[in-house]
Amino acid sequence: MRQIIRRRDIVEDELRYPGEPSTAGSVDVHSASEWIAAAVAGSAPGPGAVLLTATDEAEALAEHLAPLRWIVIDFAKIGEGRGYSQARLLRQRYHYARELRARGAIKRDQLFFLARCGFDAFDLDPAEDLIAALGALGTFSVAYQGGSDTLVQVRRRLPDAAA
Amino acid sequence: MYRYDQIDQTLVEERVAQFRDQTRRFLAGTLSEDEFRPLRLRNGLYIQRFAPMLRVSIPYGLLSSRQLRMLGSIARRYDRGFGHFTTRQNIQYNWPELEQVPDILADLATVQMHAIQTSGNCIRNITSDHLAGVAPDEIVDPRPYCEIIRQWATLHPEFSYLPRKFKIAVTASAHDRAASEVHDVGVHLKRGADGALGYEILAGGGLGRTPIIGQVIRDYLPQAELLGYLEAILRVYNRHGRRDNIHKARIKILVRALGVQEFRRQVEEEFEANREVAPQLPAAEVARMRAFFEPPAYERLDDIPETSGPGARTASLAPYQAWYRYNTRAHRVSGYRIVFVSLKKHGAAPGDITAAQMEALADLADRYSFGMLRATHDQNLVLADVPQRVLGELWQALEGLELATPNIGTLTDMICCPGLDFCSLANAGSIPIAKQIHARFDDLDYLYDLGPIEIKMSGCMNACGHHHIGHIGILGVDKHGKEWYQITIGGSAAAPAALGEVIGPSVPKEAVADTIAKLLDVYIEERQDEHERFLDTVRRIGVEPFQERVYETDHSPA
Repeated sequence: MRQIIRRRDIVEDELRYPGEPSTAGSVDVHSASEWIAAAVAGSAPGPGAVLLTATDEAEALAEHLAPLRWIVIDFAKIGEGRGYSQARLLRQRYHYARELRARGAIKRDQLFFLARCGFDAFDLDPAEDLIAALGALGTFSVAYQGGSDTLVQVRRRLPDAAA
Repeated sequence: MYRYDQIDQTLVEERVAQFRDQTRRFLAGTLSEDEFRPLRLRNGLYIQRFAPMLRVSIPYGLLSSRQLRMLGSIARRYDRGFGHFTTRQNIQYNWPELEQVPDILADLATVQMHAIQTSGNCIRNITSDHLAGVAPDEIVDPRPYCEIIRQWATLHPEFSYLPRKFKIAVTASAHDRAASEVHDVGVHLKRGADGALGYEILAGGGLGRTPIIGQVIRDYLPQAELLGYLEAILRVYNRHGRRDNIHKARIKILVRALGVQEFRRQVEEEFEANREVAPQLPAAEVARMRAFFEPPAYERLDDIPETSGPGARTASLAPYQAWYRYNTRAHRVSGYRIVFVSLKKHGAAPGDITAAQMEALADLADRYSFGMLRATHDQNLVLADVPQRVLGELWQALEGLELATPNIGTLTDMICCPGLDFCSLANAGSIPIAKQIHARFDDLDYLYDLGPIEIKMSGCMNACGHHHIGHIGILGVDKHGKEWYQITIGGSAAAPAALGEVIGPSVPKEAVADTIAKLLDVYIEERQDEHERFLDTVRRIGVEPFQERVYETDHSPA
């Protein structure tokens, strides 16, 4: 059973990514195009989970967010960075408030930035030590920029525009 | 200069701790080389030909004497006794041990320095005019804005894994001393129609293997909106810049592919959509930053005519006069002068400086220039606020340190990358060519007669030596395992920026100085008078006369 970090806990994952077999109680994750097509046809299954790849546009989901309980953003390669902007858009512009998960080629070294961009769940590289990774949420206690933090707390000198 | 408060200090110390842990995991084998590479690069650490290379950030080139002493101490303790100033106002160490890098970073943190984002696909050190705050032609000191951008860019959570590196230059003078037109983003301070301060924003410039001059995407941006606008540019780039090909991943390729109109439209649309949550730059924050860059406590002094200055009494006249003329510049405060410290001594690699020189120079800065120095884009240093009455003493001290070669702005004030001697990317040597040119053109009178000429040299097409924008550019290429050099002329870093034109087939290593001599002969013959610079002559008559001279023997039947 896959373990993930959800907020500040290590939990067993109920999601099944595209291509993975379903089990009792598991939730299938849909590709963005599948989800949008079903939503447009009025047949979107709930509770919904969607996988965004780096080339999917967050905007395309904007009108179909309400039934979604999980959005998973895929980081296919080391150094992939588009997901950080996708997360910021989903949280800040489209006010998506449920689970936003990062998955793929990510380790504890990216965790702090991911959390600051609004991710609150992490399916890390299988080789990563999840206990150590949880500690990485406290890598920095200060920051210069605004964020979509719910997981990490930082001291800042300047408030956000909206604050 | 900017002084860290508790937030800044905590941040660099926490970054040191993070990097120490990353290094430990790499050495223990729990981080692979592929995983460690982007992490170490984000902290300025390359693995080079012989050893790691550590690049330390000098924000917009500004250094205190205390910081320079620490840089010297690091060179002594962790390197082979020298450092190398780069073309982006930073310093590099070529021989540190990987295991000791966390300790170096911890030492740097004690003097409010770091190596954050000096490499890797992220926002790099913010560069600016090395004469900021003393330049007679600036409309406002750009450094407070540089520091504001530096802080915003440091460990930015959204923009730390960009498609490629991202360089921002800020200027506030008509004369662009920061090559801002060949940066990913150029920020030009300007006054709007109502006199209020704001910015002209350029994007899409860059050198490397596809040199492009940046284009204006916003004619005037109000002061408070700087960070929101930069955030919009970065977000468009982060989302849509190419990631499939490292050679097409810079923002310049995106701007060119979309066209500047469409790129501008996307940035403006993102800027508007993000307005409510974008970071703001309140006037109070600008004022807070400005307070860090107040002018030093200048004395009320009268200008001293050069010939009656102390140098004339205490020193042999001609060398002092040459130094005064070439290595010092007018200051906007009477009784003061700007002094360039030449790191272009014959026989040394451009930009190299020893630990002993750094330490002695720190003392000179304390004694003669309010304890401050600047690093320039041309790999020299500047003491910006020197009272004219001490110029003679300072000259003697710099002479004793071999830092007074009177060649600033002349042919031998070359800039060059580390090249094949240190860099694993290079195709050819740069430093040996610099030495060859120094040896060939060692007659100062001839150099002075040639007037201002900028030679810029890179050991490969990555263009760290900015060869495209040299009046004479030299690019090292590999031909069947041998080092050859392609020559360009007519490039310029100063506005209007221009890319040099290739004069013809590359020349072998031993022929570089001879080739330059031929170019100079044409210039001497063709210039209208001694005030017409080499660059102006090239612009006026074109490259053909130069090509004909260089390749004339090639036209003979084989």
